[in-house]
Amino acid sequence: MPATITTQPTRTTLLPAKARVAAVVPAAPQISLQGVQKTYPNGTVALRDVSLEIPKQDFVFLVGPSGAGKSTLVRLLIREEKATAGSIHIEGQDLSRLKRRHLPYLRRKIGMVFQDFKLLPNLTVFQNVAFALRVTEGALRHLKPKVEEVLSIVGLEGKESKYPDQLSGGEQQRVAIARALVHDPRIFLADEPTGNLDPATSWEIIQLLLQINARGTTVLMATHNREIVDVMRRRVVAIEGGQIVRDEDAGGYHAPALESH
Amino acid sequence: MHRLWNRIDFAFSSAWQNFWRNAAVSIASVLIVWVVLLALGSLLLVLHSLDQIVALEKTKASAISVYLADTTPLSSAMEFKLHLESDPRVSSVEYVSKDQAMARFRQLPALDPSVIDTLGTNPLPASLDVTVKDIRDLGAIDQEVRTSPLVDKSPATNYEPNVIDKIILLARVAGIAGLVLIIGLTGLSVFIIMLTIRTAIYLRRKEIEVMKLVGATDWFVRWPFIVEGLIVGLVGAVVAVLIVGFGYRPAVVNLQSVLIFVPLAFDPYYLRVVLAAMLGFGLLLGSVGSYLGIRRFLKQ
Repeated sequence: MPATITTQPTRTTLLPAKARVAAVVPAAPQISLQGVQKTYPNGTVALRDVSLEIPKQDFVFLVGPSGAGKSTLVRLLIREEKATAGSIHIEGQDLSRLKRRHLPYLRRKIGMVFQDFKLLPNLTVFQNVAFALRVTEGALRHLKPKVEEVLSIVGLEGKESKYPDQLSGGEQQRVAIARALVHDPRIFLADEPTGNLDPATSWEIIQLLLQINARGTTVLMATHNREIVDVMRRRVVAIEGGQIVRDEDAGGYHAPALESH
Repeated sequence: MHRLWNRIDFAFSSAWQNFWRNAAVSIASVLIVWVVLLALGSLLLVLHSLDQIVALEKTKASAISVYLADTTPLSSAMEFKLHLESDPRVSSVEYVSKDQAMARFRQLPALDPSVIDTLGTNPLPASLDVTVKDIRDLGAIDQEVRTSPLVDKSPATNYEPNVIDKIILLARVAGIAGLVLIIGLTGLSVFIIMLTIRTAIYLRRKEIEVMKLVGATDWFVRWPFIVEGLIVGLVGAVVAVLIVGFGYRPAVVNLQSVLIFVPLAFDPYYLRVVLAAMLGFGLLLGSVGSYLGIRRFLKQ
């Protein structure tokens, strides 16, 4: 069982003072997209006129068929891609104006996990998590307690010296989640995190994401998993053909019109 | 402090791993760097020796030795000396006896005196060493003294009009050929180091992806590859520096024993300059190669 969190970890903000003030104002959403359009160089339009606001501590499911634009949206949020038109703000910071050298500090505020885990096979569980701290120049003496802390959050105590191929899929995803947590992210993006997992394991991962959300982290999860979305009754944003077709609180995987009302 | 140490430790340990992970490519690039630097060091030392020879020949250029036949009596030789001294083109004339010639000969470096002793008789002729005021008159004086019956016929003088020109030409040809060779090898080595770095980047593509994902800075991602390039340059340079450093003196000594009359000298100061230049050039090759390897591939 994952350990329960009793205390909120203290955070140091990387934002400039002005933006910090803006983040405190309740009206400003943590993530804000205004008329975002993304056209790839080959002419494919992945997103057209997407506007979306996600307040702090929200838990949002992003649903829609493959190729609808979910992954593009996720890539825009960590600025792996730049929007062709429109604006994206994260904690008051305009991503289109973010300089390349400030990009790493944005990424440290956003934890990311993927369907394929992206673990390094030649590193142990401990090393995989510690890697994220080492390469962001976390001081080495704070490394061990921090890695132990996040591994206990995801319930992997005792597996520190195992290699990824010695773990189940669910355990590997927990390692990826632990790695995404080492910087105490304010936003957690999960792109099909249960895509490779069986239903029981998928539920465990969802429980973990709920726990992370309860700590005060905003969670945005792109998924195909209809059962989870329907049971959870959280906010659902549905994308089709690059446009938001539905945005409802406590929603299901499909539009309510399809269900008897 | 911890952060700096972490950065250095990460860069060096990753670079060292990279180096051995694609050992074949890394060693190939070390070898090519080694060849370039060996060529560079050798060329600089050869050109320096040629410079030394030219400089020495130039000081000798305003004088010729007129060899006297062994049958020439001393009085005739002295008369001939006076005759030459009265020539307005001549600034001085010195008589060198057979014994003095032998004494000079014995002083040549790298010559085993016991070999000379086995000769028994002294084969060297006495000579009149004529110094002229203007180097251009040397040819005319050479022609005149050859007609004198007092003068030895084989050879009459040590006059060699083209020797300096020949050495300067040789130095120029060697310099240009060496430069072309080194430029070609430099291009090749930078190219191979670039391929080495690209191979290393390819082998680490998953790590690089994760590094960028979790917020590593561009420079944190780049440093290991720059360090790897520097390691390649440094290892190639150190091997070349050791070979040239320890090989220069034996090479000079051996050449001196073959080319007895060529004034080669071991120049420890110049050697140090050359070794430092080799080391610097090796590191330059490594950093340029890795810069080119990184440039295109680590952009987003």
